[in-house]
Amino acid sequence: MVEVNNLNVIFGKVHIVHDVSFTVNEGEVIGLFGISGAGKTTIIRVLTCQIDKKNWNGNVRVTGLSPANKKNHPKILSNIGYVPQLELLNLYFELSPLVNVEVFTSTYGISKKEARRIAKELFEILDIPMDTWKKRVKHMSGGEKKRLSMAIGLIHNPNVLFLDEPTTGVDASKRYDILSYLKKLNQKLKTTMFIITHDLEAALICDKTAILREGKLLEFDTPQKLILSLPSEGLVARFTIENLNEKLIDMINKFEPVRKVLRVGNEVIEILMDDFEQNLPNLIQFLINKGIKIKSMSRDIASFRRFFQIRIQEEEEKEKTLN
Amino acid sequence: MYRIIRQIKKEFKLLWTDKFNLILAIIIPPVVILLFGSMLNAIPPTPQPVPCVVISYDSNTIINPNNYTESRINNYTIPYVNAVNKSELLKLEYFYNASEEIYAMETARMQLISGKIKVIISIPTDFSEFIIWGLPALIDCIPDSSDVQHIQDNLNAVYDSVKIFINENNLTPQFIIQGYEEFAIPEGYSLRFNYNATLLLSFIAFGVSMVLTILVVVQEKPVARLLLTPVKRTEILLSKYFAYMLVLILQIILLIISTMVCGLYLVGSLFDFFLALYIVGFSGLSMGLFISSISKTKTEANQLFFAFMIVILLLSGIFIPIDAMPIYLQVFAYILPLSHGDPMIKSVVTKGKSVFGFDFYVLLGISFLFLIISFIIFKKRRYEV
Repeated sequence: MVEVNNLNVIFGKVHIVHDVSFTVNEGEVIGLFGISGAGKTTIIRVLTCQIDKKNWNGNVRVTGLSPANKKNHPKILSNIGYVPQLELLNLYFELSPLVNVEVFTSTYGISKKEARRIAKELFEILDIPMDTWKKRVKHMSGGEKKRLSMAIGLIHNPNVLFLDEPTTGVDASKRYDILSYLKKLNQKLKTTMFIITHDLEAALICDKTAILREGKLLEFDTPQKLILSLPSEGLVARFTIENLNEKLIDMINKFEPVRKVLRVGNEVIEILMDDFEQNLPNLIQFLINKGIKIKSMSRDIASFRRFFQIRIQEEEEKEKTLN
Repeated sequence: MYRIIRQIKKEFKLLWTDKFNLILAIIIPPVVILLFGSMLNAIPPTPQPVPCVVISYDSNTIINPNNYTESRINNYTIPYVNAVNKSELLKLEYFYNASEEIYAMETARMQLISGKIKVIISIPTDFSEFIIWGLPALIDCIPDSSDVQHIQDNLNAVYDSVKIFINENNLTPQFIIQGYEEFAIPEGYSLRFNYNATLLLSFIAFGVSMVLTILVVVQEKPVARLLLTPVKRTEILLSKYFAYMLVLILQIILLIISTMVCGLYLVGSLFDFFLALYIVGFSGLSMGLFISSISKTKTEANQLFFAFMIVILLLSGIFIPIDAMPIYLQVFAYILPLSHGDPMIKSVVTKGKSVFGFDFYVLLGISFLFLIISFIIFKKRRYEV
């Protein structure tokens, strides 16, 4: 569905994306994760024909067509949908949701009648209340606007949907709703989805995740496989330690099988180590011997958030050593 | 105090971030004054000579009432034409001898309609005869009354020629200038309204359509998103043009109805009147969309609108006639829509002239020029979601 091989994006002297390659199959949900300036949006802009060919090179195919050829742009744009981060970039606030739908569907040559049928179907999936359909968008709630924006992105039944920060600006309780709506749409419509986000929770609905840093693709795989690539297949020991400080963390790091100590709370740390099952009792003994007071402990599988944190830290450390 | 100083500093820093607006705000006022000053200073102390036509019906023969014989007399037409030529207040454009050119008056009237001349001086058949007999001679004077502010100037210029004629030919100063106002407003119509309505109409048609369109591109946030659909940029801008052209039709119809209700005396056809107002409005629409296409923010669009309007107001011949401006300003003035819009509407309304003249085509040209530039800018403009 989407193939990217050795993509480089250069603006003047600034090299923004370095040799990025990945392949996305039909119906997959892909999460593009990375801190600001990682190059996520730039990659999506190449895929959505927004960046001139003179600024990028590599072999890119979206729904089998290359954005390098300008003649392919109308076809590619017919095959893709886009949901921007801000609703005001996607919706005419002074018009009603149904008229908004008509504005966008008309660009794909869809008749008014058909547009209303698709809109009804999508609005029902996305729980957009019927009484808002004919009111001005500006009177809708934030969540409704967000869902309407998604509906607009999907209105022409695209093969690939790009979503820019779909959960940004949404309060915590609604974030999961948005993600579950996206998964629901993906399952019902079989649409391939690209989610650009800072929100690591989005990995919950992703079939594959890409981690980018400073224009380089660090990882591209399923979240499960990425977690399994951690020491002891991602098993972590979580300790709540009294008066936790950097000195104590340094001390714990000295226990040889320990590979990583992550401070995840005021008094909470998560420890990754080799041969987890075998070394866990030894670690507890080590902590007791050092006089460290353990308030509680548990074992768990690392989350995608932890994997991301570790991977980015590793890169930063690697960079520091090189410098 | 410290807090206020910091806040002032912050305001200046914010102002500095939008240099274009700052430049407009600082540069426009002195530029306006400089323009105004150079225009006023360039006006010659004496008024511009009034372009005129002299038609002579004068005969150089008289019939003796006693024996009915014909005898030749001195013809005073040529000395009068010489006086017209000598007058600094008149500029003789054409001279017609009616005995040779039977359509002289019709030709002169056409020239009056076109605006090439401002007054027709007609010398009647018994002009020379009356002078010889010592009777008060008569001169018919037909000034362009569509320009109400200058009727008296036109008559004064004719008086000046008569004065020169009397002095140079040692005649008794017994002259009657008989005025016939051409294109005057008939009784029952408001003179004030009719003489001011044409200027107001051109302003409204131009200004309102410009105001309506200066923000249409710059404030439409979802344009960048629309461009991620198969729709083309030209289609987006073209649809804006068509939509606002339709609005303009309605606007012009309402303008015409309201001016008619107020008692506009329309000499020309309704179609010409509509088309004249429409092309003026269309030029405003094109300029408005041009401003909207080049502006990055709403404030920038508003500032540019203000700047455009000031220049247009100053240089369109409303305050100072364009012909009285220095040449370099005249060149600039003639490419401004209202320089053509006001005279065109005036000549359709007061003289019944056809709309399809030089002014119409210039306005059409200006409109299309701005339209093409807007398309080029909009096509090159960078939009990213």
